[in-house]
Amino acid sequence: MDTQVLYNIFHQEAFGFNIAMYFYLTGLSAGSFILSTLAYGFGMNQYKPLGRVGVILATLLLVIAPFFLLIHIGMPLRAWHLFVYLNWSSPITWGSFLLILYPINCIIYGYFMFKEKMKPTRIFGLIGIPLAIAVHGYTGFILAFGKARALWNTALMPILFLASAIVSGIALMILVVILKDRFFSKEKRIDRDLIMNLGKLLAWMIVFDLFLVGSDLLVLLISHSDAQAAAYLILGGKFSVMFLIIENLLGKIIPFILLAVPKFRTLPTVIAASILVVVGIFFMRYVVVVAGEFIPLL
Amino acid sequence: MKERKKRLAMLIDLRKCIGCNACSLACKSENDVPLSVWRSWVKRVEKGSYPHSREFFLPILCNNCDNPICVTVCPVNAGIKRPDGIVTIDPHRCIGCRYCMASCPYGVRYINPERKIAEKCYWCHHRVDAGLDPACVDACPTEAMMFGDLNDPGSAIAKAVAENAVQVIKPESGTEPYVFYIDLDIDAVEASQSEEK
Repeated sequence: MDTQVLYNIFHQEAFGFNIAMYFYLTGLSAGSFILSTLAYGFGMNQYKPLGRVGVILATLLLVIAPFFLLIHIGMPLRAWHLFVYLNWSSPITWGSFLLILYPINCIIYGYFMFKEKMKPTRIFGLIGIPLAIAVHGYTGFILAFGKARALWNTALMPILFLASAIVSGIALMILVVILKDRFFSKEKRIDRDLIMNLGKLLAWMIVFDLFLVGSDLLVLLISHSDAQAAAYLILGGKFSVMFLIIENLLGKIIPFILLAVPKFRTLPTVIAASILVVVGIFFMRYVVVVAGEFIPLL
Repeated sequence: MKERKKRLAMLIDLRKCIGCNACSLACKSENDVPLSVWRSWVKRVEKGSYPHSREFFLPILCNNCDNPICVTVCPVNAGIKRPDGIVTIDPHRCIGCRYCMASCPYGVRYINPERKIAEKCYWCHHRVDAGLDPACVDACPTEAMMFGDLNDPGSAIAKAVAENAVQVIKPESGTEPYVFYIDLDIDAVEASQSEEK
């Protein structure tokens, strides 16, 4: 039936840029941490140069990230309420403890790594993996529990967030390792084998991420009317350029081609692909958060 | 005989609603709601085309749900469900994280631009506790709104809900809303301003 809204109120934005940025930074942090444990937790020695860079990045990014939360909340001086008045059915309560435990563990893990004490490094690295997964996975639950919004309310959200966290973490690590080797190391020489190896890893993680995004989208298109509206919003509506072109074409498909086809895989293309991925994943966070709450509920 | 638990509820008879916005205005002044935000408002939808058309009025306010998602997700337990069913916010507890706003299927919560905390309609519990009806119910010139204890079989609202075909908004959300409507039109509920296709 033809309907026209003659009067309705405008609603305030609930989350928005700050929360998208927070999700992005925790994702980068979790991704970097997991890469740093490949050598120091699991003994894959070809990734050893990533250990120190990874733990420094993971710690720094996770120290910055909560500031976006403090900017976001209306009463930042009441942030201590989060640790006193607990509600275990709220993912934010889980997160307030994870946001304390994870950086502390990162610092201990990094301390032992720089002291070259391998056994405690390994232990804290292995403790850190579930923490890193949780500190980013819980942000997926924040959105998944927002049951009013069809784009958020999916059980796929935590794993989708983790996949994109690892993708963005690898890409950032490639860029930082290149910068470090080129300008801050003694030899000023870039470890090509390591970079190419990471590039291949990145390519296959992109495939996994694309698979998750695709299955999310397919189910949205078949599901109830709100879900279909959300799918059309990101496929053909206001967010289609961000979602299709920036996030998926420039941020995933082109980097995948650059990284997976041996002919294209050179140092400059790996750098270009990593930059595209790091930017693309930011748009992924932004689209999920902002498009999710874009359609008015009533 | 065991006394039944009180469960407050509201019934809005849309056949009687004339879209005068007296409820919105009474709410604004009773609760000192700042400019730019609303605790209750009347959505106005035109359906069909002349001469076969009708204007629908949909007064919207907090449903004070029995299974309120806003209370479930509040990280600091600022959301409180009273034994009589009213859902309130502790203004000294709320940190303004907006998670309740993000999760409410009815979009009835807002951040007070002056106090920076979440607020919403709580059926004027200060008036209800004093034995009065909420301000919107009192203000309605056509007596389209009815308020009372749904669990008391003798109350006017319990009788009216039993005798009429009633509907709630978005029953599928599983929040068990307690604002009932008579003559609710699904197109009026779902009509949305930003349908870009």
